Amino acid sequence: MPNIIRKMEDQYAEYLKDESRSVGEAASISFPKTQAEVLETMRNCLAKGENITVQGSRTGLAASAVPHGGHILNLSRLNHILGLRYDAPRDNFFVTVEPGVLLSQLRKAVADKSFDIKLWNDKSVQTLEKFRAAEWFFTPDPTETSASIGGMVSCNASGARTFLFGPTRNYIEALRVILPNGEVLNIRRGRHFAKERKFKLKTENNEISGDLPSYIMPEVKSAAGYFVHDNMDLIDLFIGAEGTLGVITQIEVRLIRLPKAIWGITAFFPNEPSALEYVKALRNENKKYPWLHRPAAIEFFNCRALDLLRSQKANNPAFAQIQELKPQYHTAVYTELHGHSVQAEEMPVLIGGLGDLINFVGGDEADTWVANNQRDLEKLQFFRHAMPESANMLIDQRRKLDPTLTKLGTDMSVPDRYLNTVMEMYNRDLAEADLENVIFGHIGNNHLHVNILPRNKTDYLKGKELYLKWAQTNVANGGSVAAEHGIGKLKTNMLEVMYGASGINEMRRLKSLFDPNGLINCGNMFAPAKEVK
Amino acid sequence: MMKIIVCTKQVPATNEVKMDPVTNTIIREGVEAICNPFDTYAVEEALRIKEKQGAHITAISMGIPTVAPMLKEVVALGVDEAVLLTDRKFAGADTLATAYTLAKGIGKIGDFDLVICGKQATDGDTAQVGPSLAETLSIPHLTDVGEIKELNSKTIVCRRMTDDGYDELEMDLPCLITVTKEINTPRLPSILGIKKAQKYKVHKFNANICEENDIHIGLSGSPTQVVKTFIPTSAVECQFLKIKALADKLRELSNIEEEGN
Ligand SMILES: Cc1cc2nc3c(=O)[nH]c(=O)nc-3n(C[C@H](O)[C@H](O)[C@H](O)COP(=O)(O)OP(=O)(O)OC[C@H]3O[C@@H](n4cnc5c(N)ncnc54)[C@H](O)[C@@H]3O)c2cc1C
Repeated sequence: MPNIIRKMEDQYAEYLKDESRSVGEAASISFPKTQAEVLETMRNCLAKGENITVQGSRTGLAASAVPHGGHILNLSRLNHILGLRYDAPRDNFFVTVEPGVLLSQLRKAVADKSFDIKLWNDKSVQTLEKFRAAEWFFTPDPTETSASIGGMVSCNASGARTFLFGPTRNYIEALRVILPNGEVLNIRRGRHFAKERKFKLKTENNEISGDLPSYIMPEVKSAAGYFVHDNMDLIDLFIGAEGTLGVITQIEVRLIRLPKAIWGITAFFPNEPSALEYVKALRNENKKYPWLHRPAAIEFFNCRALDLLRSQKANNPAFAQIQELKPQYHTAVYTELHGHSVQAEEMPVLIGGLGDLINFVGGDEADTWVANNQRDLEKLQFFRHAMPESANMLIDQRRKLDPTLTKLGTDMSVPDRYLNTVMEMYNRDLAEADLENVIFGHIGNNHLHVNILPRNKTDYLKGKELYLKWAQTNVANGGSVAAEHGIGKLKTNMLEVMYGASGINEMRRLKSLFDPNGLINCGNMFAPAKEVK
Repeated sequence: MMKIIVCTKQVPATNEVKMDPVTNTIIREGVEAICNPFDTYAVEEALRIKEKQGAHITAISMGIPTVAPMLKEVVALGVDEAVLLTDRKFAGADTLATAYTLAKGIGKIGDFDLVICGKQATDGDTAQVGPSLAETLSIPHLTDVGEIKELNSKTIVCRRMTDDGYDELEMDLPCLITVTKEINTPRLPSILGIKKAQKYKVHKFNANICEENDIHIGLSGSPTQVVKTFIPTSAVECQFLKIKALADKLRELSNIEEEGN
């Protein structure tokens, strides 16, 4: 046994769970620090036919990093930034990282332009000079910045800025994956494509080939099931695969130029309909407002969400720095504007336009918070992050009384035209069922997190029922059951609502082409093949 | 209506202060200039008084002409007027000359009931300008205020934390207070505020507010001089010890102590 494999002991108890709060079991755990150690550990487990669950930072919300027996391969210490490359025609920088690098760590290094270059080759080091001459950034921004890059790739994480920039997928250029056969696959974007739905991948000594699932993905933000389409770039198969096709040990991410100006504006409305009108105006269909370019983010907080933040601010010192929420603030919408071509001086014009828009839809430009520098922007981002945190803390309190309770957090998206319909449905159903809840999230993409906060078991069961019903309705309207958190082990029934039993079977078949013995991250997305007759 | 004056200073963004290891001075190039963080609490407290009981707020700052945009930011928050004291003759002022100049500026603004300053500026960290200004204006003052308990047209009751507990003190107006971070959470500007500030013109006062050849301003009015600045080296070392090594270390230390006895 490689000497980094440890028997599961009490001191490792926290590695049995993730932020979904569900708890699993495991026989052993390792914390490899080098890619060679990962390979050795994996080969050891695979030879013994032992299950492996891969972990990044365990901030996932769908229990996809929660082990169901076997070995825990924790990659949090495989966390070096390995090099830098510039592509002149695309005007992009590319950073090679190991999967355990945290989003916060990558962001800080990029912003400070300061890297540990011990492991870098000469070419990377030389590139630094050019890198330092301008400002760059990695756009994917899940609110939880302690997420690892490996976890973000595996979940195809999104964030507020996905509205403008798209999900993590769009910023992944190359991957190194250790496949369940113990071989290493290096795959770079633009090199390996499927032929319609047939694919073939050469590994070191073998070839993996077969059919991709035949389902058509919805045309909305989605991180549910394998990403497949005709003639797809095969690197995309591994992004959002929740670690079911192999272990990612190296990632090349793409950086773009930092916008010249970033302005964040939180606007408060006296009621929800005005806020929804504002959201639609911000989307600026048919370029109705020529002065308004596409916002980077449009985020939403409903009235109960604001109330929860009010009480957090009053009762919890950690949230004392939240701005004062006046009583007339009923619903809030945060939007972020980036200026690439416009000069920073032109941004006031935009702000002025937004003010008029807010007044027009029934808000008041006086009821706004504007951030025009990094420090103030961080205040608005803190406010946004406080939202899921507050809901989680509330549930943690209740779990002390009844440990079987969990938060029921939806992660569904629908097409633009269903925004009002979906909001009406959530509000009506929650009121009828008398369930405590908050609604917030990425409303630009009609992707709201309804957090049902059960007070007791009855609430919990009622909530679960609603959740399934919403999934069915939203899927029927062309939506996705999991827009960014993935399916994990908690939402497998939802994935079935989306792609049906046949879709699930096709996914299971795809997995078994890579992992015939079902050893890696089993139970994510669908029940393992062995458990199905 | 109550008249409030808030003192504000532009400083380098605190998290970015870097010292030049050769000259031992602050590197200002490329460092963003911001409103002294403690002053933002002073501004916020004035705005809260205005919202609660009505007040007219004037922000005042001494500095180079490029400080004007900072004062506009303060206007965007809801401050009514902003005054910038700017003149080459003010340059080189220490805390005494700064307090003197501010007092002259305030004299020109006119009557006031309350002056609010931040506890200290984050670039010099002296905490002297507030009290010094009060003395120059011949009014009472209270430092490190964490809460205004009561305020009417005649008196103010403030609470502040001390080493032994809390002081609750009453003062007659007009007076000056300096405030700490505990007092409130500063707001962000609104779109409406930003629109107003865009149109606003900051008042600029030059050395004409003082007598001709006034020796109390600028370098000539500054009895203190910075002889030397240096970067303190930290003597504290941190070691990580395993339990046994820790026990040994403690034993070793306790022996030293006993021997000392
Ligand atoms: C407060 C809060 C806010 C959040 N906000 C957002 C948000 O806005 N947007 C969003 O998308 N998510 C959000 N999340 C969820 C979470 O942060 C993301 O899903 C994140 O991408 C998970 O990263 P991780 O490193 O914690 O992964 P983990 O939870 O450790 O793992 C997630 C999955 O990835 C797999 N995995 C991890 N590393 C590898 C690897 N190297 N190779 C193969 N598989 C791997 C794991 O096996 C597992 O299946 C939030 C979570 C919290 C707690």
